[in-house]
Amino acid sequence: MKRRDALKNVALLLGGAISATTMGVLFKSCTNPQESGEQINFSPEDRKLLADFADIVIPATKDSAGAKLAGLGEFIPMMITDCYPEKERSAFYKGMQEFRQKAISDYKKDFSAMTVEEKNHYVGSIREMVILQSTNSTDGLSPLKTFFILGRDLTLIGYFSSEIGCTQARAYVQVPGRYDGSAVLKPGQKSWAT
Amino acid sequence: MNINTNLKAENTYDAIVVGSGISGGWAAKELTEKGLRVLMLERGENIEHIKDYDTAMKNPWEFQHAGRLTEEQKSTHPVQKRDYPFQEANAKWWVNDLECPYTEDKRFDWYRGFHVGGKSLMWGRQSYRFGQANFEDDAKDGYGSDWPIRYDDLAPWYDYAEQFAGISGSKENWPLCPDGNFLPPMDLNIVEKTVKKRIEEKYNRERIMMIGRVANLTVPHKGRGNCQYRDLCSRGCPFGAYFSTQSATLPAAVATNKLTLRPYSIVNHIIYDKDTKKAKGVMVIDAQTQQTMEFYARIIFVNGSTLGSTFILLNSTSEAHPNGLGNGSGQLGHNLMDHHFKCGASGDATGFEDKYTYGRRANGIYIPRYQNIGHDKRDYLRGFGYQGGASRENWQDDVAELSFGSGLKEKMTSPGKWTIGLGGFGEMLPYYENKVYINHSKKDKWGQPVLAIDCEYKENEKKMRIDMMNDAAEMLESSGMKNVKTFDNECYPGMAIHEMGTARMGKDPKTSVLNKWNQMHEVSNVFVTDGSCMPSIACQNPSLTFMALTARACDYAVSEMKNNNL
Repeated sequence: MKRRDALKNVALLLGGAISATTMGVLFKSCTNPQESGEQINFSPEDRKLLADFADIVIPATKDSAGAKLAGLGEFIPMMITDCYPEKERSAFYKGMQEFRQKAISDYKKDFSAMTVEEKNHYVGSIREMVILQSTNSTDGLSPLKTFFILGRDLTLIGYFSSEIGCTQARAYVQVPGRYDGSAVLKPGQKSWAT
Repeated sequence: MNINTNLKAENTYDAIVVGSGISGGWAAKELTEKGLRVLMLERGENIEHIKDYDTAMKNPWEFQHAGRLTEEQKSTHPVQKRDYPFQEANAKWWVNDLECPYTEDKRFDWYRGFHVGGKSLMWGRQSYRFGQANFEDDAKDGYGSDWPIRYDDLAPWYDYAEQFAGISGSKENWPLCPDGNFLPPMDLNIVEKTVKKRIEEKYNRERIMMIGRVANLTVPHKGRGNCQYRDLCSRGCPFGAYFSTQSATLPAAVATNKLTLRPYSIVNHIIYDKDTKKAKGVMVIDAQTQQTMEFYARIIFVNGSTLGSTFILLNSTSEAHPNGLGNGSGQLGHNLMDHHFKCGASGDATGFEDKYTYGRRANGIYIPRYQNIGHDKRDYLRGFGYQGGASRENWQDDVAELSFGSGLKEKMTSPGKWTIGLGGFGEMLPYYENKVYINHSKKDKWGQPVLAIDCEYKENEKKMRIDMMNDAAEMLESSGMKNVKTFDNECYPGMAIHEMGTARMGKDPKTSVLNKWNQMHEVSNVFVTDGSCMPSIACQNPSLTFMALTARACDYAVSEMKNNNL
């Protein structure tokens, strides 16, 4: 494959899809369970921080609630605890602490106390740092970057499998009863939740 | 020796069926309907139709881990987790690998489900007949042993199996994938219809594309409901809309009042009687209590899945059969095959932005084999078919890198682009050296030795994979698809869950284990009608062929019993 093609593919992967790490861990199950290591206890403050972070990734919009209301403050720590190997788990946890500290040193206040504009600016600055790495795997990345990548992945997965994500942000039909492969796309039609 | 004659009478049946999956369920149905008292033994737990499909009606948000596996599940299912079928929603169907290990001389992914219904609950449901050429290839090119039957021998039994199971599909008049007794086909979507038309025009109908023939009912059938287009089949269908032991064969067998089903019954070996030169029964380990017991019958159908059945036969040694029951040929355990897949091509379809789909169709398209037929000559033997389909994506790939916020949300909630993929399913040749054998150095949870698997693809398969990618790309490009890319996601034997061979049928007892009736050459009252019997595997999904072979063998066995030949 030519180098240009290779770069384009990485860019594509970095776009809509989630990271290679999460693909490996959650979708392909290609990681082997490692030694369980120390379990992490996410505190109520941690959960609040994660909910606020997730709400920046998927905010409330006019027709659907955001990630916070969809329960991402509980979902993210549960998934990190139950489904990720020790290495990613501890990097995520460490990165989350750095994320909290860096907000205080950069903005002189807790992330949760920041305005939406400040939060967007702050998360955007971390995103810029990650993009410069040109990788979609958390391998070898700093804890802060790992936190951003995995936190964003889990927000997307959790939100679009939540009741709010399925029934408000997307369209969900539990029992379609029939198949129409040439249906007319109506204006405002949301993509199907599955 | 202490013989409890009463117990012996209680434990004696006309027939024993080992296994309750697709072929075991068929054997139980056919034998009971012909008047035999049948004991069906299943090594795993009982699963009651509908009632035990715990997750069948759950919404996406009712799963704790959004459908994903936990580290705990990965640690107890190190093999099952290697590929996509094992998920949070259907986790209970897949074995705990630590309880029933096997050893791999070379990587072989062995996917198993121990419960009543076996893999009939999780199967892919694609149902294709083998064609005349598939039964002749072994004789023609010399790989494997010649099939002792031809298409015409099996055709009426395909009719019979399709009629009962309920297979939806379209008639195409394609000799390598013969038409059958179909329920109305599912619909192709707009992109698939377009691509079908363009391919068939471009190749002058020397290649065709059709909707998959699938064991999902498109209309109510024999008291079962039709498909509701939820695409959640692998959780078990509460409408009974796809063929499984539970939805179809088991109720038929139960209705005869002649079936005894015993779950938690691991058949350790078949008991051979050297005086009669027949099998007299089976030795069973109770999976819960570890107690052993014996059951007796006039005939035994072995339907424990390809490698499960072969393990039992290899483990059934006696003075007369030191290398496994009916293994005078030395072929038992050899010629293991599986389809190779996970390669092909995909592309984007443009011009259909005003169209979308409604409903979730648990089926795709099928392009039956066209290689090495007529003028089409390749530098390898036999060939492949394609499965795939078009869909409109949910997750757009044109969102900015690692973006977040309302823009990302907007993208993720509006229909994305149409894409289409074609994935090849290729025939693997039978090779004597691809084999399984018993490894006594390791034991399972019940103290049994384990199976060792030594199997690999060879040159013919590797060459075929190149065409599986290139032909797909060529067809997509010539149908006007954009951004066409080939892929080979790496495939290991076992991954198609179409493992076959290891107790092959054949004309000659010196080179095969079973005769043309799936009857052991050397032990006339033992029949093997699951995937282990296959002398070659074509490239079609095989379960329909197991159904037809089983019904045919049952018919023969019962007539032989009536004629006092068994």
